[in-house]
Amino acid sequence: MQGSALATGAFFINSKFSLRMLADEPSSPFTTPWLQPLQFARYATPLPPFAALDPLPDPAAHQRYDEFAPRYFYDMNVSEAHVCPHPQLAFSRMSTYGNSAPGVTFMHRYGTPVLCRINNHLPQVMQGFGSCDVITHVHNGHHASESDGFPEDRFSPGTFRDHHWPNILAGGDPLEAKGTMWYHDHCMDFTAQNTYRGLSGFFLLFDDLDSGNENDPNPDAFRLPSGVPDGKRVKHRYDIPLIFTDRRFDQAGNLMFDTMNMDGILGDKWLVNGLVQPYFEVERRKYRFRLLDGGPSRFYSLWLSNGMTFQHIANDGNMLPAPVTAQSVQLGVAERADIVVDFSQLPAGTTELYIVNRAEQIDGRGPTGNLLPMSQAPKLLKLVIRPATGAPDNSRVPSSLRPKPAMDIPVARTRDWHFDRTNGMWTVNGQLFDHNRSDAQCKQGTAEIWNFSTAGGWAHPVHIHCEEPIVLSYNEKPVNGTVLGGRKDVFTLYPGDTMSVYIKFRDWLGRYPMHCHNTVHEDHAMMVRWDIVP
Amino acid sequence: MSEEKPISRRGAFASLLLPGIAAAAGCASTGGGAADATARGSTAGDRAFGERPGSTIMEADGTRTFRNHELRDQDGRVLRYQDDLIRGQVFAATFMYVHCTGICSDMTGKMTQAYDLLQPVMGKPVRFYTFSLAEDSPADLKQYMQARGLYGRPGWYFLTAPREVIKDIRWGFGFWDPDEELDNNLNGHTGMARFGHHRLDKWSSCPALANPVLTARSVLALFPPDQRPVIAGLERTDSPAARKIPNYTPAPPSTQFGS
Repeated sequence: MQGSALATGAFFINSKFSLRMLADEPSSPFTTPWLQPLQFARYATPLPPFAALDPLPDPAAHQRYDEFAPRYFYDMNVSEAHVCPHPQLAFSRMSTYGNSAPGVTFMHRYGTPVLCRINNHLPQVMQGFGSCDVITHVHNGHHASESDGFPEDRFSPGTFRDHHWPNILAGGDPLEAKGTMWYHDHCMDFTAQNTYRGLSGFFLLFDDLDSGNENDPNPDAFRLPSGVPDGKRVKHRYDIPLIFTDRRFDQAGNLMFDTMNMDGILGDKWLVNGLVQPYFEVERRKYRFRLLDGGPSRFYSLWLSNGMTFQHIANDGNMLPAPVTAQSVQLGVAERADIVVDFSQLPAGTTELYIVNRAEQIDGRGPTGNLLPMSQAPKLLKLVIRPATGAPDNSRVPSSLRPKPAMDIPVARTRDWHFDRTNGMWTVNGQLFDHNRSDAQCKQGTAEIWNFSTAGGWAHPVHIHCEEPIVLSYNEKPVNGTVLGGRKDVFTLYPGDTMSVYIKFRDWLGRYPMHCHNTVHEDHAMMVRWDIVP
Repeated sequence: MSEEKPISRRGAFASLLLPGIAAAAGCASTGGGAADATARGSTAGDRAFGERPGSTIMEADGTRTFRNHELRDQDGRVLRYQDDLIRGQVFAATFMYVHCTGICSDMTGKMTQAYDLLQPVMGKPVRFYTFSLAEDSPADLKQYMQARGLYGRPGWYFLTAPREVIKDIRWGFGFWDPDEELDNNLNGHTGMARFGHHRLDKWSSCPALANPVLTARSVLALFPPDQRPVIAGLERTDSPAARKIPNYTPAPPSTQFGS
């Protein structure tokens, strides 16, 4: 039932493409699957009490800084590391957040403003793909423009930028709370290359309901399976962030990136949390998995290999009004899905399961629309089933989660956004990206309806910064009761698709981008600048 | 491609066994231009290029080698693609043809504005390459440049070669379509510019019809920041500038087995 609108017919089927284009590229070296345990990034750790950043942050550089004075300060480096994603591959030079690829995990509660200083310690001369200029964007963060990671705000090695993350509810509305977010590089022209090179990590927010405590005495709390692993501390942790990426390696086992590709890049190695095909031991109890498509151009249809159902509880980090029982989730680049899987329901003899990707995709333009047979679907992660240990499983999935926020601000106007391509150039409403030109000035305190449409043979996961819209219709059909029936920050448009969303403009002023999150398209300027104005 | 292949079958075979001799053989078969190439340590013809147009070879030093085609510029000078146009260069490349009634005129206009912005670095170290998609003659290209006041500007090369050669160059930059009809359709030809820094193997791309400031900044972004030319008008002025890290010393890369 979940995603049925997406899985049938809506996908583009293009028989013209063949594998001849890929035949020329040698495959990555063989790697033995399931050799290494799934790894987790460490938590980001703030400065100790009474320690101060040097030099001090400049309050004047931020909107509403004193109102949301930071309670914690982070001093994080972006630096280079030699990272080995599999024992049969080489150590590759990668860019890291906090000396970790994927980047360190940020965990905050709503109402706790923080400031993160990001120091650029990358080498000035970087051979091959990637840029040493960086700028960090928290995906779906409700942040002021100057802390949002506008692509042209990139900064060079030897300098730093302060990002003020106030962690406030959009419009003060508790229904606007978000959970699973991620942060990644957003540098002009180099987003795909830099994120591929390691610059992405999880950014998780909690509140009184989604409190991160399955034993929460608060009767209103969701009590979802809890405990995010912190580096090697994995035992009795049941809230599992998973970033899925695909990569390609040269014959010596070094990470490769096809910088000349214009359509989108596919890898032939499946990585979860930065490792090629790891395994993860799960107990016979409930788990929350936070699934993220880390790109650059891959679409996923994720299933458990035995076809078992699970509860789909959140879409793009937003709790759904009610959980949806599903067998699969569809993810475009940057989309997230939170699911709760109950392994206690498995037959006694089951010792292992896999998370598999059944979406067929043969080039970077988008999925073919075919669903691979379960037996042929690539296995991404092995789940080794172990008996339940530790305390009893008090976690649950409530029958209702977070209602949709009210669409209570009258619609001031309607805008159409048409995504197309002419002469090999991406256009939005027929225009090319220019960061000095604002294509929409949206008045703070108003709401608008934005209609998306697309043409051509490409699938585009369209992402809007700062504000998170509510989907009104998809291909002119209502979306209530489906996983689109809530808030979303990525709107995956398959060829010919249309979508309408309702968007409010609150709290912050300034320039923001809207762009295709196939990061290869994004780097070729499939982007629009729009502004929130007083 | 086949008629343009600068190396004999014998040379290609020998390259499997004796790279040094193969280099000599390859050059001998292509005459004077390639002899120069040898003197500068050229790689031998298409020793290990793939079947696909636009195939390149990754070298041990992290740079890439393109097929060493022969092209002519607006003055009829013969230039070798890898040796004279790619190796060691920083450039912006676009595609056009003289009689284009579509986007070419606009593209040349925008690139001219980008050229003006980049004036202090044009010629050295930055070059513009404009490849003819329709086998325009050097004289046509010269006339086209003169009509737009571009002739004689340092560092801007209008280049022509047989269609198959240009296709190989175009595909090498990623501007191709899997649909052969679309790929050959001149009306729909690419309006993207390819930016390249050969020594660092740094590549990016944006529409040539974009705001010339973006084009110019994309070219500058290819340089390592401490070697990046500073040009008035292209600095960041519209956002709070990043600040210097106190007592900054670049850190050597760490080694880790995962996080």
